[in-house]
Amino acid sequence: MVQLTLPKGSAPKKGKTWPKPQGATNLRQFKIYRYSPDEGGNPRWDTYWVDMDRAGTMILDVLLYIKNNVDPTLAFRRSCREGVCGSCAMNIDGQNTIACTKGFDELPGGVITIAPLPSQPVVKDLIPDLTNFYAQHAYVQPFLKTVTPEPEKEWKQSEEDREELNGLYECILCASCTTSCPSYWWNGDKYLGPAALLQAYRWLIDSRDEATGERLDDLEDPFKLYRCHTIMNCAQVCPKGLNPAKAIAKIKHMMVERVS
Amino acid sequence: MSGTPRADTRPLSPHLQIWRPHLTMAASITHRITGVALYFGTFLITAWIVALATGAECYSTIEGLVTAWYGQIIMYLWAVAVLYHFANGIRHLLWDGPNIGFEPKTASAVSLFNYVFAFVGAAAIMAATIWL
Repeated sequence: MVQLTLPKGSAPKKGKTWPKPQGATNLRQFKIYRYSPDEGGNPRWDTYWVDMDRAGTMILDVLLYIKNNVDPTLAFRRSCREGVCGSCAMNIDGQNTIACTKGFDELPGGVITIAPLPSQPVVKDLIPDLTNFYAQHAYVQPFLKTVTPEPEKEWKQSEEDREELNGLYECILCASCTTSCPSYWWNGDKYLGPAALLQAYRWLIDSRDEATGERLDDLEDPFKLYRCHTIMNCAQVCPKGLNPAKAIAKIKHMMVERVS
Repeated sequence: MSGTPRADTRPLSPHLQIWRPHLTMAASITHRITGVALYFGTFLITAWIVALATGAECYSTIEGLVTAWYGQIIMYLWAVAVLYHFANGIRHLLWDGPNIGFEPKTASAVSLFNYVFAFVGAAAIMAATIWL
């Protein structure tokens, strides 16, 4: 259901302003979403001042600077710090991306807002609960399904067929696209969302996969696939430059082609 | 799971409240809004046809409403809605048929074009009806 406002208890309140670092000349202000299950109550916006000369080059460096120098209680996920693992996906300056590849030079002037991925239950601070997201990925059965006996060596594929997977297999499942989608905000329980559908198409178009019909059956209902209204937020935000909107359009095409 | 609070006590992270809007998102909601506006606009056509069939007196009442300043504003916005929905509808055909126009830059540029087309086009239509 469309719910334009946040439920009771979820609206962030004004929080704490942390002290400015001493002797810094290149300061920037960050407004960061904070919530702790131990303290309870509403989430809050805390204000931090970061010495940009000492903070590195990426937004993830800003978060590490804050955690190391200002406030060790700030919680966020991170691992590879080079855009491969997808752990540090969050909403930076109003758009979803991964913090480790978002550089200072891409930021506009003024206060930068950092929040968890939108419209998800928050575990703590910048950490959303992505259980539903992973369950939807599992629903599309993202693995090779075949009926013919397994070949002795390997499942072969021509170069042209392999090229079909470009722009699909690169997805790191960071959830930036899925949680950017207004359709997913309103119907996240029934609509599979851009990331799961991109993966669904990745297996639908794979020349080695032999379960195309079943896969299409699994997507055939008013919500799972067809809640995509081409709002295009997914393609606008994907930190890997992939295009889930296009993949979804191609699945819709396959649906039409198989009945005609 | 002892000591872990139940999932339903967790707050929902902000969405529309923090989102920085962009052209394709605006274009999508405008398509929906103009679609609803066209539904109600159909009543205006009905009123006009019924007035035409009823007689000169009734027709002049409707004509008075349409040519009044507020009527003109409604006619302008209606023309915007028609043109926008038309242009964006063609874009939806290109998305669903040949699956083209999905690159974010292309999609944003086409969104902007549709807005300009609708507002400028409607202004041209209004100007033509006033002067001709």
